[in-house]
Order: sequence, then C-alpha cells, then structure tokens
Amino acid sequence: MIKQDLKALEDKSVYLLREASMKFKNVAALWSMGKDSTTMLSLARKAFMGKVPFPVIHIDNGIDFPETYAFREQLTKKWDLDLIVAYSKIKPDSAGSACCGKNKPEALKKVMKEHGFDALIVSIRRDEHGIRAKERYMSPRSKDFKWNYKDQPTELWDDYTSNADAESHMRVHPLLDWNEIDIWSYIKKEHVPTNPLYFSRNGFRYRSLGCTHCTVPVKSNAKNVDEIIKELSTTKTEERSGRAMDKEKEAAMERLRALGYM
Amino acid sequence: MQVFHVTMLGHKDHGKSTLLGNLLMLTKSVMQTRIKEAEAYSKKLHKSFEPAFIMDSFVEERMDGLTIDITRAEISYRNAAFSFIDVPGHEELIKNMISGASYASTALLLVSAKPGEGIRDQTKRHLFIARMLGIDRLVVVVNKMDTVGYAERPFRAIIEGLSQFMEKIGFDKKNVEFVPISAYVGDNLVKRSANTKWYKGAPLLETLYGMSYAPPSESADGAARIALQGFLGGRRDIVAGKMLRGRIRKGDRIKIEPIGESATVSGIIINGRSAESTSAGDSVALNLDRKMDGEVRGSVACGRGAATRSTDSISALVFVTGKLGKGMSIRFNGVEVPAGSLKVTRHINPVTGDVYKAKITKPLTVVDAKLKLKSKIPAERFSETRELGRFVLYTGREFSGIGIVTSSHG
Repeated sequence: MIKQDLKALEDKSVYLLREASMKFKNVAALWSMGKDSTTMLSLARKAFMGKVPFPVIHIDNGIDFPETYAFREQLTKKWDLDLIVAYSKIKPDSAGSACCGKNKPEALKKVMKEHGFDALIVSIRRDEHGIRAKERYMSPRSKDFKWNYKDQPTELWDDYTSNADAESHMRVHPLLDWNEIDIWSYIKKEHVPTNPLYFSRNGFRYRSLGCTHCTVPVKSNAKNVDEIIKELSTTKTEERSGRAMDKEKEAAMERLRALGYM
Repeated sequence: MQVFHVTMLGHKDHGKSTLLGNLLMLTKSVMQTRIKEAEAYSKKLHKSFEPAFIMDSFVEERMDGLTIDITRAEISYRNAAFSFIDVPGHEELIKNMISGASYASTALLLVSAKPGEGIRDQTKRHLFIARMLGIDRLVVVVNKMDTVGYAERPFRAIIEGLSQFMEKIGFDKKNVEFVPISAYVGDNLVKRSANTKWYKGAPLLETLYGMSYAPPSESADGAARIALQGFLGGRRDIVAGKMLRGRIRKGDRIKIEPIGESATVSGIIINGRSAESTSAGDSVALNLDRKMDGEVRGSVACGRGAATRSTDSISALVFVTGKLGKGMSIRFNGVEVPAGSLKVTRHINPVTGDVYKAKITKPLTVVDAKLKLKSKIPAERFSETRELGRFVLYTGREFSGIGIVTSSHG
C-alpha cells in the first residue's frame, strides 16, 4: 500500500472542504464515527479555524456497536459537533444490501429533505473499491439520489461541476485521493481520536466498521496506531474484507452506489 | 513518497486498461481478491482472463469491453510512486479523457502494432490535447508486439509515423521515449523481454521513472499568486485560497484582482497552524488588516512584483468538443463568467496540426479564438501561470471545450 505525502493530501482536502462550503448554501456531512469520516472532521476543523461549520449526520439503524455510540457522544461533546441522528429502520432479516441499499438511503433522503441540504460530504476513498475509484470529487445526484455513473460531469483541474447539475444534491468527496495507510498515518500525526474497535482484542480487530449485523473483525494483532500502520504496509487482504454486502454478488457495490449508498 | 501523475492516452482497444491491469499484477500492486474477482468475471463472460477488468469495474465496461470513465491505479517504483489515470479511448467519451488527463504531468501513449490498428486519428487527437494541457513528457508504448512476431520493423514504422507530428505540435524529441511491449503477455513492462533482443532501451517502468519530474506549476518562482476561494467564516478580513506560485510573508502587501483592493497580510494560517510564510501548493488562509469591500471568490491575490492585470478580452487556443454559440460561458478560477462573443481567427486540425479555412467549427477540432467576456477576470498566459491561463467552455449546461490563454489582452 502506497504512503503518500500527507501535506499534499491535507492541502487538497482542505481546499475541497472550503469549496463545498463556498459553492453550496446548506452543507452537511455524513459521520459514521469510523476512521475516515472522523479524519474528515479533523480536516474540517483545520479548514475552518478550529470548528466544524456544518452539521454531521449519523444514519442510525440502532444496531451499531456500543463502542461506536460511546465514541459518538464523546467526540460530539469534545469537538462541539452539530449532530443530527437520522433513524433508519432495521428488521432482523434485512442485513446487507437490503439495509444499506434501501433503509439507510431512505433515512438519508428524509433527513436531507427535512433540512434542505444541497451538498453532502462523504468520506469515501478511491482505494476502497474499484467502483469508488470511478468517482469524481464532486458528483451530482438525481432527484431519487441516483448516481448517473455512465455520464459523469467533466472535472478538470480545480474546476468542479456546477451545483446546477445536481437535481437533489451534490456529493463532495474530500478524501478521494487518500489511501487507507494515509488515513492511519494522519491519525497518528494529528492524534485524531479513534473508535477503540479498530484495535486488536484477542487476536482480532475491525478494519472497516459498519453495524453489528454486517461487519466482522479480521485476524490481527495490531493493538495501536503504529502497529496498524505496520500491518497495512505488508497486508495482502482488502480493507473491506470484513464487510458482508461487498461479497453478495458481483457488482453489488455498483448497484448500491447507484441507489444512493454512501 | 513523491507521486507522479501519469495519464494513459490512445485509441480505443489499443490496450490502455490491459496494460494497467497487467502492470498492477506484475508489480503486486493489487490485492489478490481484486484479481480473483476480475478472473471470475472474465469466466462468467466466457472470456479468457481480462487484466483490464481490474481497472474497468462497471458492469457496462466489462460487458462491452470498453472504458467508460476514468479511474486511477498506483504503483510504487524505487523511491517514487506512479498514479496512473486510465481514460476512455472512444471519441464520444473524450470529455472523460480530458478530465483524467488534466491531472497528469506525464503521459503514456499506446499505439497498437497489430496489422490494421496502428496510428489512428484518435491517437493524434489525444496527443494534441495532452500538449494543450501542458503535458510535455511522453512515453510512447508500441503495444501488441506479440501479434507481429516481435519484429523491429513495425516498431520503427510507428516511431517514424509519429515523430514529425509530435514535433509539429511542440513535443521536444528528447522528452519522448518509445518502448515496444506486449501488455497482455507482459513483455518489457517491468523487465526487459528476451523476445525483443533488438531493443536496447529500458523497460517501461524504468523509462517512465527516468523522465518523471515535478510539474513547473508547483515551483516557488516568480511573483506570488493565490487563487481565492472566498471569505472564511463570513469574515471579510479573512480570505482562503490556493497558493499557485511564489511566496507571501507576514507583513507583505497584497493586491486583489479584479476587485483592485489592497491590504497587508497580518497573519497566515496553513491547515490550522500559524505560519510565517506560504508557498506554492499550500491551502492557505490570510488574515488581512482591513475588510474587503468587493467579492473575492474567483479573484487572485498578488504579492510582491507585477500584479495580474484584469481583462475582459482574451485570445485562446480552444479544443472544441461541442456546439459553440448562444449562452456560452467560461469556468475560470472557480467561477462561471458569461461570454459575450467568441470570434474564431483560425482553424487547426488536431490530427495533422495544419491550419485550414472553414466557415463552421465542428466538434473535435481546434481553433484560435478571441473571447469577449461580460466581466473582468484575472487571466494570465498559460505559459505564465497555468492555473490562471486555462478555462472550461460551456454552452448552456453542455461542456463545449477547453481553452488555453495565449494572450490576456485581446
């Protein structure tokens, strides 16, 4: 896994976060309490003089890990975040893409409409998945939140698509260039608070965090940030190997993203 | 690690995605699970293994065997890393190709040596666009050498077929290398191949490594320029933007164009931390000693030395991708500026480099044009400050071209 120049990544992300806040009237960010969206919030604090200037949305299906809820409360207080919890339905039999592909996007649609958000910051990265590698930094979404991936707008240099191109809202991806190992290097450098589930207990840790139904831990002895960075520089497995929905069928991710999955 | 951005170029089906897929596998830069997934999908489509599927992730791309949109892949080599940008080769997808190529400083052009394939119009068009975007280093890979029995003659024929054109559009011979490869078989990608004993040069990755360099726009030379994004936190005495070139220190006077206001820099903040000075590449916020009256988004802050002169009349080289006419505007430095008129002064054929006479301007051609804008912009020549010398042309909501400023005063 390639370690990039953190300063250059930071410059680009700060630039994109400021672009989002200046181009759009009513911006919000998704926050899953995971390492990526928490890193994004840390970058937003840098971009906007120490305070995250936009609301953060947690799409909550009620079955996230207890550690995740505790982390949410702790950081919301510490960083004085404007937290919006959007409740998503969950049925015991609807794990995987039925939940992430349908229930969560429904909850997101509702909360976006209620608050009239015209841009949504989402902390996806290219190296997570082949489909995410096809995303733009700014990507318009249709009325029903669909991603028209067969006809994406031009995005040259620092010229990002116009807000007029988005029927419902614009997705903004400030972390698109980052690799998994860059995130952890940044967490180390900036002492970004992290969910304890990422660290090994009894030989297992969570490498990618979803809810309790869909995520399984992977074998690992990495007990702290340094050990995670070391592990990632030689790993042979993919980050999302502990995610159920990625494995369902070929092109599951493509369908999920087209449907509005984050 | 220093990352070099390399765009792929070339006609459809000459092997861009296959080359990247195979490079990723040979250098072990891709996880086994992703290779297995590509294998399984090839099988499902009753094909032999397609390395291109590692890059082409959309179902439609795999079914139809084409790249629809850009994607990136990273390979580390020695003390550097290459971030390859794969682009579509199809004519109708040229806007995606341009989007991808705009992020690169070096290019890798594929030309198939297979009989009946060879140098195509699209091969040359991609070269022309790359040159316009400021790419001046190039590796031409002559692909599918396995289909011509690894003979030297077809390789030489492609070098000869391209050299004159490349020189005509401004590539310097010493910045262009040619490598014979087979992307599918793997010849001369990472190691020298025994199949091409007549070839004395280095394999592809080594060749690319030899010519990689930091793009000139990242240099700290010249008069300081910051492209301004706007006021921070609604405060008219704090401006944020991207440092394009030069250096600004605390206490420096800056002039903001086109609003024509000046101020003294009382504080510099780079990514959350106070700093004494700022240089090229920084995302920066400046505290000013006074509030600005005008709007700063889309303007440029100039430090010591000559300031940008604002203008509403520019000359530009324009690669046309759509209709020109009513409702034209340019996107420049983060803002949209309506265009009053566009007058074509001459037509250039991007496939030959020749100037010709024409009454109408068709898509996929190039023109020299004079643009009259409805408001002033802080434009400079592309050769002076890249970021202030380029724009995207729209007609209504349709992308209709890209432009490079050749003169900022008519």
